[in-house]
This record gives sequence, structure tokens and C-alpha cells, in this order.
Amino acid sequence: MKKVLGLALGILTAIGGFLDIGDLVTNAVVGSRFGLSLAWVVVVGVVGICLFAQMSGRVAAVSGRATFEIIRERLGPRAAGANLSASFLINLLTLTAEVGGIALALQLASSVEPRLWIPVAALALWLVVWRTKFSIMENVTGLVGLTLVVFAVAVFVLGPDWGTLADQAFHPSVPANEGHAVYWYYAIALFGAAMTPYEVFFFSSGAVEEKWKVKDLTQSRANVLVGFPLGGILSVAIAACAAIVFLPKGIEVSSLSQIVLPVALAGGKLALAVVIVGIVAATFGAALETSLSSGYTLAQFMGWSWGKFRRPARAARFHLTMIICLLVAVGVLMTSVDPIKITEFSVVFSAIALPLTYLPILVVANDPEYMGTYVNGRATNAFALVYLVIIVVASVAAIPLMIVTGAGS
Amino acid sequence: MSLPPDEQQPGLVLDARLHLLDRQILDVDGVPVCTVDDLEVHGIDGSDRPDGSQQAVVTSLLSGAVLATRILGGRPPASRWHRIRWTHVVDVGTTVKLGVHGSELDVTWTERWVRDHVISRIPGGSHDPG
Repeated sequence: MKKVLGLALGILTAIGGFLDIGDLVTNAVVGSRFGLSLAWVVVVGVVGICLFAQMSGRVAAVSGRATFEIIRERLGPRAAGANLSASFLINLLTLTAEVGGIALALQLASSVEPRLWIPVAALALWLVVWRTKFSIMENVTGLVGLTLVVFAVAVFVLGPDWGTLADQAFHPSVPANEGHAVYWYYAIALFGAAMTPYEVFFFSSGAVEEKWKVKDLTQSRANVLVGFPLGGILSVAIAACAAIVFLPKGIEVSSLSQIVLPVALAGGKLALAVVIVGIVAATFGAALETSLSSGYTLAQFMGWSWGKFRRPARAARFHLTMIICLLVAVGVLMTSVDPIKITEFSVVFSAIALPLTYLPILVVANDPEYMGTYVNGRATNAFALVYLVIIVVASVAAIPLMIVTGAGS
Repeated sequence: MSLPPDEQQPGLVLDARLHLLDRQILDVDGVPVCTVDDLEVHGIDGSDRPDGSQQAVVTSLLSGAVLATRILGGRPPASRWHRIRWTHVVDVGTTVKLGVHGSELDVTWTERWVRDHVISRIPGGSHDPG
């Protein structure tokens, strides 16, 4: 059991990256419009995030330095400040969307207007950030979030035509009624979601919170190699559910109730209840990940005292940052903005944040002053360089594609 | 008459930009204090704006308002400099370590202000997470 709980950090990080409310919707939209023809992007993204999350975890375990301290130190105040602005906005937009997502999921369960749930959700989040131990937080949200496995079960119960799904996945092509630009816009959105920078901020800071040392490197690797592929499989499962139920009928997904419909068709009320629990846990976990990441990034850039292992009075500015972020999120949501639409804009900021996050990690992972004998091997560096090229191409193409396609509409 | 300086300086050679600027500063207990936002450098003849013609020494680490001028350029008024005397520094590695408590330093006044006026007033703020 201890071994399983030891993987909670990786699982929670991956849930926040792959299964937050924006990704739940994006995956279902992609499934209903493109079938599994974009599944290869998730594979590319999973390999990339495994590579860099493992590097950031190793740097944190060996040197005790979390990712944004390294970004500030290697890029200087200007470039790191640009990254901070972009990353902080991504965090804030995602946090806002997640708080709204918790409210939408609770609305599915209770039929109570989401705006009544929003303050409740934000208060619950703050209480966890304020009072709960990091290990309890990651274990509970990580394990409960695993109930989203019901999406994968639903794929089998729905009894699809496996030949068609395999054909979509292994011979990807743009469906006749969709444009190439839209296809590539969603490819970048899925890649950006897989590689979203707050995952490495949270994972590396979590490694510091958990006080990982050199002897924990195996655990770090296990976290990465279990958590992120699991997140990837579940996101493909969501797309597959939508591809089975909605694609043949030409229905486009636009709301949370549609996303859970295939699960309800497959497993009835019980499965529906399980999936709603899973969505609440996943959005709650993603909200914790993004609110903590906003505190981590700002505190590490400025050199403030941070961390949930300290009592709040010993990391005062860190906790104040998170309180302000939660208040802003509630304020924005109270204007009745659609939480799912909010995350679409984070693609734009990813364009700046992605290269400026992953380059410094790669540089420091090769610095013997930090890493001693634990510097990157040649194979890791070769892969990482290939990924840096992909990241730069994706980030350059993101904004033009978003404008051309009207954000995929 | 003084001897000419050694070609090869003895001891650890530090590059101010690479090894000092933007590094995390930790206090004697390992608690983060701030980041090295800038350095105060004096010429060994005592001038506060050495022009490169004489040897210079780092006298203080700076933090706070100087971050804005590092990003935007310029020079903040001396009254807004928050200094950590170089004599407090005990080690320079992947972090800069001090031999004093961070809470005794002027640079952490914002942390103390937020703690005293906001965080300590919220119930549970002064307790370990349970």
C-alpha cells in the first residue's frame, strides 16, 4: 500500500495536466469530431512530459531546487519574468476553470445552480491548501481521481468496432468535413495540455515538499512512468467514448453532461455516479495543483519562503498569493463566464511559457554543480533536444492557428 | 610597494553574474530569504561607482526594488536599496547561504508585514498543517 501511495504525486500531477476540466472537454470534442485520429498526439505528449518531469524531479531530488528557482537563475529576471507572467496567467485561468468545473460536476449530481457551488468549492480548496498535509492531499485526490478509469471500462462495455478505432488511431487522417488548420489546432491544444508547464512546477515543488533525496530517484521515476501514461490512457479513453457514441451520429460535444453520457450508456446510474465522483476529484485535484503552482512559481521567482510543509505564518506571502488567486477565480466565475471556454485561452500563453520552462530544466539537468554524477545521459539529451524543437514549433504555430480557426470552431 | 596580483587567483573563483545574480539566498536555518536581485560593488579605493580601472569588491547583496530596475533598466534611489552585507554570507554554492536569521534582516519586511497583518490573523495560520 505504501508503494501505491508513493505514486500519488505523479498521479495527481498527471490528473491535473491531462484530465482537468478543459482537457476533459477537449478530449471529448476531439473524439466526437476526429475519432481517434489525434491519439498519436497524446502519445507524443506523454513521452515529452515524462522526459522533462523526470528531469525536473531528478534536479529537485539531487539539488533540492525546484523548477522556477532554476528558471530564474538561468534565464535572468527578464526572460524568467516573461515566463512567470505567462505561467501565472495559465495557472490563474486553469484554476478559474477548475473551480467552475467542480461546480459543474456538483451540479450534475445535485441540480443545484453552479454559482451556489462556486464559493463552497473555493472555500474547500482553500481549507485544503491552508491546513492539510501535502501527503494526505495528494493521496486522497490522486486515489479518488483514479475512479475516472470508468471511462476506459466504458470503452470495453460499449463494445465498439475495434477495427475502425484502430484504423483511426494508427492511420490518422483529417476527416473529410474538417479543415487541416482545425486538425492541427487541436493537435497543438492536446500537446500543450500534455506538456502544460504547471505540471513540472507542481511535480518538482512536490518533490521538495516530500523531501525527496538521491535515494528517492527510483520513486521519482516510478511516479513519472506510472502517472503520466495513466493520464494519457484516460484522456484517449475519453476521446474513444466520444468517438464511439457521438462520431457516427455527427453530434458535437459541448457540455459536461454530454461527456459523461457514454459512461451512463455503458454502465447505467452506478457508472454515472462513479464518473461524477471522478470528475469532482479530478477537477479538485487540478484546482489544488494550479493554486499551489501559482504560489510556487511566484515565491520561487522572488525567493520567498514557500511550501505546505511550513506553517502558513512561516510562508506568509506564499499563502497570501494563493488566497488572492482563489478570490480572483471566484470573482471571475461569478460573472457567469463559461469555465470551459476559459481554458482555451491558456493555449496562447503556453506559447511563451513552454520553451522558457523546458530549456532551463534541460540546462541545469546537465550542470554538474547541481547534479554531481546524476547529470543527463546522452540518450536523454538527444530526446530532449528533439522535444525542444517540437515545443518551439508548437508554440510558434499556436497563436496563428488559434486566430485562423477561431479557436477550433 | 605592493606585489602585483597573482595571475591565478587562489581559492574558488566566482563569476558574479553566473554564481551570484538570481541565486536563492537561504538563512542559517535553510529558510529562503530572497533572491539576489542585484549586487552593490565598491572599488577598493572606496568609490561607489567603480569604472573597471581599479579592483572592485562586492559589499552587499541587494533585493527588493532593484528587481524592477534590473528588468526595466535604471537605478533606484539609494534609500530604496535593501542590503544584505557580504559579511553575512558564509557559503556560495547552488544557493547563497547566510550566517544569520532571515527574520533579522530588513529585506524580509514584506514577509513580516503580511504575516502580522494577514496570515497570523486567520485561524490556524500559526499551526503546523495537520
